[in-house]
Amino acid sequence: METKVRVTGLWKRYGANEALRGVDFTLQAGEIFGLLGPNGAGKTTTLECVLGLREPDAGNVEICGLDARRFPREVKRKLGAALQSTALQDKITPREALDLFGAFYSEPEPTLRLLERFDLVAKADAAFETLSGGQRQRLALALAFVHRPEVVILDEPSTGLDPQARHELHAEIRRMKHDGYTVLLSTHQLDEAAALCDRVAIIDQGRIVATGTPHELVSTAAGGQAVRFTASQLIDPAALTRLPGLRALRCEGLSGYFETDEAAPVVTALLALLAAQGATLWELEVKRSSLEDVFLKLTRPDNKSVNLPV
Amino acid sequence: MNGLREHLGQSLRLHFRNRMALLYGYLFPLIFLVAFWVLYRHEKIPLIRHMGELLTVSVLGGACFGLPTTLVSERERGVWRRYRLTPLPTWAFVVSTALARYVIILSAGALQLGLALSLGMPLPAHPLDLWVAFTVVSFAFIGLGLVLAMMADNVPAVQALGQCIFLPMLIIGGVAVQLASLPTWAQHVSAFFPGRYAVEALQACVSGGGLGSIGFCLLALALIGVAGCSAGAKLFRWDAAQRFAASSGKLWLVPVLGAWLAVGLLAEVRDRIAVSIDGATVAAPVPVMPAPAPLPPWMKITAKDVAALDFRVPSDGGVVSPFAGPEEEASDYTKDEVEAVRQGLLTWRPGLEGDDVQRVRNLVCVAAVPDSIQHPVERYLPPVVLSHLQEIYPKDKLIKILTWIVLHPEDDNVIDSIADLGVQGSAGDPAVVRERSYLYSLKFILRITGRIDR
Repeated sequence: METKVRVTGLWKRYGANEALRGVDFTLQAGEIFGLLGPNGAGKTTTLECVLGLREPDAGNVEICGLDARRFPREVKRKLGAALQSTALQDKITPREALDLFGAFYSEPEPTLRLLERFDLVAKADAAFETLSGGQRQRLALALAFVHRPEVVILDEPSTGLDPQARHELHAEIRRMKHDGYTVLLSTHQLDEAAALCDRVAIIDQGRIVATGTPHELVSTAAGGQAVRFTASQLIDPAALTRLPGLRALRCEGLSGYFETDEAAPVVTALLALLAAQGATLWELEVKRSSLEDVFLKLTRPDNKSVNLPV
Repeated sequence: MNGLREHLGQSLRLHFRNRMALLYGYLFPLIFLVAFWVLYRHEKIPLIRHMGELLTVSVLGGACFGLPTTLVSERERGVWRRYRLTPLPTWAFVVSTALARYVIILSAGALQLGLALSLGMPLPAHPLDLWVAFTVVSFAFIGLGLVLAMMADNVPAVQALGQCIFLPMLIIGGVAVQLASLPTWAQHVSAFFPGRYAVEALQACVSGGGLGSIGFCLLALALIGVAGCSAGAKLFRWDAAQRFAASSGKLWLVPVLGAWLAVGLLAEVRDRIAVSIDGATVAAPVPVMPAPAPLPPWMKITAKDVAALDFRVPSDGGVVSPFAGPEEEASDYTKDEVEAVRQGLLTWRPGLEGDDVQRVRNLVCVAAVPDSIQHPVERYLPPVVLSHLQEIYPKDKLIKILTWIVLHPEDDNVIDSIADLGVQGSAGDPAVVRERSYLYSLKFILRITGRIDR
């Protein structure tokens, strides 16, 4: 399968702060690749380096086989992007914006076709300042497709959207995959990544800490089952750690969280421990680990923290 | 090119949809013009002596406030980040932005000129030259505007930086306050500001000698414009997150300041600092003449010399050197000719070129020649000439020059025809013109000094 994006050894410093510390990943043709990470992890900086908005201190970016530093203009013709912080002039209309950006390329998509595809015909001549958040996001996507790019980059595309607009956006991103586009998106919304992405890279403190399909990440990084409970009185954490097959224990007040390969024997042991200490079980939740658990596990500043996951 | 053209067109469309931009770009220059019109209402020809200043203020406002405000606010919104994702090169965006601003400034200038014409100002003496000079002035200030836009991190910073340029240029840069009324040190300082050259260049095309007389100004403005535009392109910042203080290209400010410095030093070396006409009553800047060294001899005329003149002159109602009284009105036939001369004097080359004595002598000939040939307008032109002289020269200086002419009637050259002012006929004998010039100079002194009351 053709590699559309290859990022190797990307480093970026802002003064003393190392925003990226050797980021590597590749995108194959036709896949949706998610860059998942908490705020400040380096997602946007990575995308900006790929797009040519920032100059990395080290590392390489290759788009469709072209070195982005050596062939910036050619690379820009291959990329379409919807940035997190893009706004247009208040008085420009979607039709004018599409005409304008189309004029920057040699073979632009017809404006009317883009307006129809992104459901903007009714607002084609409305000022940008009058558009809703969802309409603005659709216009940003339309601008990304104005020159039929090979790779589409979306930086936190659902930020600030209401549930309906978010649902429409997800449908549009799935359509991109159906139409054969390669999509690189950044998000901090785990359900979005799980629902849309073929593969995910979790980025934390400027480096990729895990890469794979959402299923692979869940089964390899977290695995097993997660157990949350609340007792009627404080339980000694030292006693809990002696329970068989228990790991990643965290306690906060009356509540606790742990992971295990097989929940049933551990829960039985937990109930016995509570009874021995004169406590009763108020709440118990057992579930398979999710991408969220993987994310929290990998991006927690201190994995040994005894705080419950938020 | 398609992208550049589309961006240019879109920039203009957006400008004309922005009410605040229209207010600042068009209404304010017109308010300025009306204010000048009211302020200088006593002048016989409205506004013509101030168009250089008014047009300069319009260009300065549009280029050093309008351009960077638009650019920085779009950068803050992220519009320019989005542009950067396209394959259009930086220079194309810079050129289209500068061109759009030029069109906006040009239309504002044309509107201002149109209003001035409707208020009674005659057509500029050199319209095509005016367009060329306006373009060069715009180029210089748009370069400055680009640099300001790259230095300012946000819109309030544009206002602060713009005022740092705007106010000194207005007050001691020769733009809003006449150079002649400034102290000598300020005249030296003004030579380092482009505003002075902008006013001189534009004014010369409205009521002076046109492009031929403003070579130095055009050179100075072009140099400042090239430095500004080059630095603006090199310092270009797409992203509001890039702060000027942290940018690596700050050294590009050196050629910008260097251009101002070079122009000022060149003016100093070429002795272009002193203004040729001084005094608060002088309204219009005229091309600065090199200061003669040593002092011209007429400056040594004293009050004693004036008092010693022989003021026995023919009667104002006589055949020789007639002089219409303040209540006398020209006939319908001659009225138009007199008015044509009054208008024509504003741009009449012999009245603008040469040293002061020669210029005054030429202007006195405008009264002397019709008298020599007994033209019907002969008695009505002397008051026109006197009024013109009093407008462009301060009293003391004019008295000294006229006295010099009376004492040296045979010096310099005289004009024997003013057909180019619409008065046909030639005096033929220069001696007659010199004699009548002598008489009219005396009559002018009598009136200026109040020895007679008309």
